[in-house]
Amino acid sequence: MIKAKINNMPVEVKEGTTILEAAKQAQIKIPTLCKHPDLPAGAGCGLCIVRIKGTPKMLRACSTPLEEGMDISTHDPEIVAVRRTVLELIISNHPSDCLQCGRNNNCELQTLVADFGIRDESFQKFLPDLPKDDSTRTIVLDPQKCIRCGRCVEVCQNMQNVWALSFLERGFNTRISPAGDIKLADSPCIRCGQCSNHCPTGAIVEYDETGRVWDLLRDQNKYCVVQIAPAVRVAIGEAFGYPIGTNLTKKLYALLRRLGFKAVFDTNFGADVTIMEEGSEFIQRFVHGTGTLPLITSCCPGWVDFMEKFHPDMIDHFSSCKSPHEIVGVLSKTYYAEKKNIDPKNIVVVSIMPCTAKKNEIIRCEEMYASGCQDVDVALTTRELARMIKQAGIDFANLPDENPDHLLGDYTGAGVIFGATGGVMEAALRTAYFLLEGKNMRKVELNQIRGLEGVKVSEILIKGKKIRVAVAHGLDHVEYVLEKVREAEKNNTEMPFHFIEVMACLGGCVGGGGQPYGVTDELRIKRAAGIYQDDQKCQLRCSHENPFVKQLYKEFLGKPLGEKSEHLLHTHYQGRPVYAK
Amino acid sequence: MDAQIVFIKDTNGKIDLTKDFCAAFLNLLRENALEDKVQAVRIADMGIYDQGLVMKFPRENIIYANVQEKDFKEIIDKTIKSGQIIEELLFKPEPKQLRIVLRNCGEIDPESIDEYIAVDGYLALAKAVNEYKPEQVIEELKKSGLRGRGGAGFPTWLKWKLTRETPEAQKYVICNADEGDPGAYMDRGVLEGDPHSVVEGLILSGYTIGASKGYFYVRAEYPLAVERVEKALKQAYDYGFLGKNIFGSSFNFDIDIRLGAGAFVCGEETALIASIEGRRGTPRPRPPYPSVKGLWNKPTAINNVETLANIPPIILKGGAWYATIGTEKSKGTKVFALTGKVKNSGLVEVPMGITLREIVFDIGGGMLSEKPIKAIQTGGPSGGVIPKEYLDTPVDYENLQKLGSIMGSGGMIVMDEDDCMVDIAKFYLGFCVDESCGKCVPCRLGGYQMLSILNKITESQGKVEDIDKLKRIALAMQKASLCALGQTAANPVVSTLKYFEEEYRDHIINKKCRSHKCKHLLNYNVIQDKCKRCRVCVVHCPVNAINGDKDKGYFVDPKICVRCGKCFEVCKFNAIAKE
Amino acid sequence: MAKLTKNDLEKIKAKRQDDGRDWIKVGMSTCGIAAGADKVYETFVEEVKKMKLDILVKKCGCQGMCYSEPLVEVRVKGMPEVIYGKVDKEGVMKILDKHVCAKTLVKDAIYELRTKR
Repeated sequence: MIKAKINNMPVEVKEGTTILEAAKQAQIKIPTLCKHPDLPAGAGCGLCIVRIKGTPKMLRACSTPLEEGMDISTHDPEIVAVRRTVLELIISNHPSDCLQCGRNNNCELQTLVADFGIRDESFQKFLPDLPKDDSTRTIVLDPQKCIRCGRCVEVCQNMQNVWALSFLERGFNTRISPAGDIKLADSPCIRCGQCSNHCPTGAIVEYDETGRVWDLLRDQNKYCVVQIAPAVRVAIGEAFGYPIGTNLTKKLYALLRRLGFKAVFDTNFGADVTIMEEGSEFIQRFVHGTGTLPLITSCCPGWVDFMEKFHPDMIDHFSSCKSPHEIVGVLSKTYYAEKKNIDPKNIVVVSIMPCTAKKNEIIRCEEMYASGCQDVDVALTTRELARMIKQAGIDFANLPDENPDHLLGDYTGAGVIFGATGGVMEAALRTAYFLLEGKNMRKVELNQIRGLEGVKVSEILIKGKKIRVAVAHGLDHVEYVLEKVREAEKNNTEMPFHFIEVMACLGGCVGGGGQPYGVTDELRIKRAAGIYQDDQKCQLRCSHENPFVKQLYKEFLGKPLGEKSEHLLHTHYQGRPVYAK
Repeated sequence: MDAQIVFIKDTNGKIDLTKDFCAAFLNLLRENALEDKVQAVRIADMGIYDQGLVMKFPRENIIYANVQEKDFKEIIDKTIKSGQIIEELLFKPEPKQLRIVLRNCGEIDPESIDEYIAVDGYLALAKAVNEYKPEQVIEELKKSGLRGRGGAGFPTWLKWKLTRETPEAQKYVICNADEGDPGAYMDRGVLEGDPHSVVEGLILSGYTIGASKGYFYVRAEYPLAVERVEKALKQAYDYGFLGKNIFGSSFNFDIDIRLGAGAFVCGEETALIASIEGRRGTPRPRPPYPSVKGLWNKPTAINNVETLANIPPIILKGGAWYATIGTEKSKGTKVFALTGKVKNSGLVEVPMGITLREIVFDIGGGMLSEKPIKAIQTGGPSGGVIPKEYLDTPVDYENLQKLGSIMGSGGMIVMDEDDCMVDIAKFYLGFCVDESCGKCVPCRLGGYQMLSILNKITESQGKVEDIDKLKRIALAMQKASLCALGQTAANPVVSTLKYFEEEYRDHIINKKCRSHKCKHLLNYNVIQDKCKRCRVCVVHCPVNAINGDKDKGYFVDPKICVRCGKCFEVCKFNAIAKE
Repeated sequence: MAKLTKNDLEKIKAKRQDDGRDWIKVGMSTCGIAAGADKVYETFVEEVKKMKLDILVKKCGCQGMCYSEPLVEVRVKGMPEVIYGKVDKEGVMKILDKHVCAKTLVKDAIYELRTKR
């Protein structure tokens, strides 16, 4: 343990702890801007400077380990003056139009400038003449607001291993852009949105489609229906001051009706249907040997895009089942439309997702139009919904609890856990167990595949057979799993895994690219906890027990993997070029 | 020798009396019937300055200074006829330069390894590998007091010791040949003139630290240096000084060359490491230092070319010998690229402790023109100016730092009154702004803001508040930049403000540049008494700024004038004033 | 290739010891080449061949007096070793005709470098 002093207060920390971390022990908050808890210290901004008392040199607290006997001063007049100058320099290179910015009131730079009490701009303003890039229609890059903290590059290159963003040029002209200075849509970008999640300013935001949804809601000829993803319900509260992870499902149902949606569904229902289809798929491959093992989940569109671009050799492993919200979408315009006698052409399906990639998923191939129209019309992020709630003038906190439209809205515990990493696997295993053993697991919680470990590996015994599963989240962790599979294929040895779940975003959808800004491990854990609590409270814990799912198959689909299911609920994949054109 | 030879040179340089004296001396020789026996040769440069007429007898190695014409007879009678020395005229100048790093430059063929061996090349390597343990090499270096010559002045023995002591099997050594300071070419001189000395130094560093692999990181703008180092490496491999079992020991060592790609920042050690690793050349925070986690996260020792060239002589002659040269805290010699308004510009190597005055006047031959010295700039874009009041400062790391400059890698630029201090600061800052990697805010944005302010000052848009603003941004850059480029980029501004703040105020308040350097502050006017009204300037002015007539005279309109200086150039009567 | 030992070094050293031959050394670093030293070197090689002179023409690095490049050092038996500066084609001929052949030094062209090594 290292013993030292910070601002005359003694601290004791493990060796290797940075001064920034150690200062928290003494209740000292050293200001930072480019540092993010998820990422290694880039050490770019220069705000976290401190000094060893009595020496002229200043060190960066974010990256300097505390050493035995150090006597650190974090705030003296010269340090504060230098920090202030650094902030003023940043402002001189940043637009002052906070009022029009997507991060107004929720921006790390804005907060710092306000905290420092900087009321005037003493340096000449130099703004680069760089255009916005909204080519992906999911993520918008605004280089004028970029402060070159480098978080997005670190995330895209090292955390997600996509390498769509990089630094270009140098010195004053440094900017962040896809390599080759091409449009984001032409780059390897998988639209996971992790860049926007980590960006401290309004330089990277989601493509706002709230205006479009308002228009559709006001259109008398349209029958608007909506669904919410599992991860949305435990994160929306953060925009309204709720403790992190508060489950606001029932209030959301009430809210969405007040907004004007004619029917409120739940993506968790779609998740239950996914399990029926994918669980059966697994049984086919595992028991009957039709199709290749391992089976790899396909509900994450960022992961699908990543696979199609970088690992097309894995296509045959993918479950052909669509993602849950697409399932609810297509069923809305067929099953639901039939039942309620509504012309599907007038139905508008809006999905509220924790995800930016969904905006691209809904048009990715012709199977997304299986109902005859576009199955899901608009995918909104949690952030966009929060804005709509505030614009609608609804007192969200005091809404009464309501129920969803049961037909496509009731769900089991297995459906809601889709929002956390390991949840899809857990849900699938609960049903696979039933399909093979004929009865439910005694304990349905599979704790060994929950949690934030990058790759989680486990073995389940079902009917005497060992089923090896792997769960990976954060695309940097996927390499390891895929390499093991390829190695076994090359050497013709036994498969290391039978079933693999991959989520592109660290933590699973709770940490998704469309969730409220500023994701950290603490947020991921607390949001996931909210999801697992919801699962525990559910009366029914397994997808196959969902009475409305049973009704769906009885009255409409027939059986899992049947002809109608194949037509409506399944899709195909193709290799795509990493760089378009 | 067949004929006796005497060199003749008037060393005051003010009036070239050499020809006259030589002619007079030759006459006297003829009178004594010695014109066939004695060659009196006018030479271009004696290396002696301000000693009047100097005569040197190379065979006897006798030098007479301040010789008058009346002494000629005595010289011919005593010295030429009978070999006697005339004590009153005798002059024994101490050679001011001591060439250790440049010991072989200009002596041997840099492309011949045999010639290098003939001057004790690779003997130091043989001695170290066969007779010394690595700890002993470090001991010798500690005794020598050698400090890094790249600019930081870190004790070399300590760097090697720390790298050696990091517990890790794979280690690396790197020779930093990415010499980027504008106007500095010391490393280039060594790499082109004596590449084997640096190769030997690098191998020695590898042996001492326990590294099996070394790299030369040479800037791509030095193609001849790259060529000569490549040749030297191949020759060293052929002779077994590289590869396996060097000198029959268990020491294996390989060297590769990596080229830079035009980034000054890649001379900074962590940016250099990033460049070799194939990543973007930007620095990273330290700790951990490269001696613990360097190239590919392995312990790495990076040394400058000049530092490495010092290693073989220290091994051969011992650290104690090296410590006899220099001052208490700065041992040994330093190579400087002496340039600017000095007569003899070039590479000079001097023992630490020599004064600036000696360098400029005794070695450099004094000022290029009649104008007196104003200041000396040392340390390149990280350094500062030293005004003429401090010319008698002994040169070493500490003294230069106390004056607000640094030793740096060895750039030394002599300036006179035609050099505008604001313009100099602008030049160096502009260089750093161009070369900034852009990673950290203080350097990327601070430098740009300071440069924009300096541009305004030199374009007559300066305000008095600008001076404090410059100081404020300079402080932020010094304290909060990630690497030494940003931390020192403001030094030229701070240093010129310290000693020449009046010049800044002149530019801002009076809108005047007394060195006539800042174009926008120049005013061209017709001196009416001298003007012959020939209209040559009128015709040559590209913007028709000169108007008038033969009766009333001609005048330059300052609002139209673009300060191109053409009228000043073409006027045959010196009737245009530039002020 | 051959691994040299310390003895081998001594042997090479002995072999390369001064054989007393006359030589001309041209400074061939970037400072010299920029001033035209490569042409000077070529001219020396050509002319020495043409004039059938028994004198070696060698290259060396920067002698330090960069302001007076191209620099040429000349050692001829019976004459002091001198360095000529600012040598051009004309200078080459003067050095060969006067210094090497006629054993008279060329005027106004010698530069002394005061150093210890």
